Amino acid sequence: MVDYNLERLNFLIVDDNKHMRALVQGILHALGVKNCLDAIDGADAFKELRHFPADIIICDWNMQPLDGLDFTRLVRTGKDSPNPFVPIIMLTGHTEMNRVVEARDAGVHEFMAKPISAKGLYARIKAIIERPRPFVRAGMYFGPDRRRRDNPAYRGTERRKSDDESGGGGGAELSQEEVQALLDN
Amino acid sequence: MSDDESVKVITPPNTLKSKVREGGSGSVDMAALARAEAVIADLADSYLEWVEEDLVKIRRAHDELSANMDNPEKYVDAVFQIAHDMKGQGGSFGYDLMTILGNDLCRFIEGKKTLSNTDLSVISLYIDTMKLVISKRMSGDGGSEGQKVLAGLAMVVKKITGG
Repeated sequence: MVDYNLERLNFLIVDDNKHMRALVQGILHALGVKNCLDAIDGADAFKELRHFPADIIICDWNMQPLDGLDFTRLVRTGKDSPNPFVPIIMLTGHTEMNRVVEARDAGVHEFMAKPISAKGLYARIKAIIERPRPFVRAGMYFGPDRRRRDNPAYRGTERRKSDDESGGGGGAELSQEEVQALLDN
Repeated sequence: MSDDESVKVITPPNTLKSKVREGGSGSVDMAALARAEAVIADLADSYLEWVEEDLVKIRRAHDELSANMDNPEKYVDAVFQIAHDMKGQGGSFGYDLMTILGNDLCRFIEGKKTLSNTDLSVISLYIDTMKLVISKRMSGDGGSEGQKVLAGLAMVVKKITGG
């Protein structure tokens, strides 16, 4: 297993709850991160992005006035977005299947279900470092390629739209493993 | 036209890989991960302070809901938001029962446009149970006492909702 030194990475933490911001920042510092900036909602974060060169954004979902989903869309497709390619980790208590798909379709790289753990957060950061994803512009979507599985043996038909439109159970609760499996398919 | 005809693939510059160093001093090893988990444990005491504020807030939101049963949507949403935050925070700080209760409460009220007095009683029960978990410091899975509390709550909810 490769251990990474994260001290040169800039993290932007976006959460309206100061305790959760403190928690994420504390974890990152313990992992060796030196540069963290906080924002209290999506609008504040977008403003900060103009002068803070974030390498990774860790973002809550429920925030006012601009929530994590709208913020992600703004970063990806806003005309004045300072960095449409910046990796975004959505950190949220929403673990229903339809919510995970919604976040993915807004253009997040990784989805992490609260409760938060240091190991879980580092696993998402590692995934971003080790598996850089191409970006795709397809119809209304602009963001990381949603087909993440790299399987050279795959001989089936290409699936871009149908991946998540066939299944039911939109509100079913998922574990973090199930979230990952859904994102990897 | 197939989907792929309108798809444009862009490979962004990979700046991350050049900014992280593999191995060596300061890299994220098991000790760093243990330190990070310790940060979470250290914040658990603070959690117990601010969760008290959340318990007051959610009780107030419940009372406002109770006073506005003819037009409850906004007030249901307020209860949902607080319960949702409590769900995310509880387990993060070692109070897994708070995550379970917060989640169950969210699922119970999610999407409700109208509310009965029975529904209101159920919400109140969840809030009381969360308060009990915190006052008795039932961390982790709460042990046998915690499991009894959860089972008791489920039984009462079933009884009053006729489920």
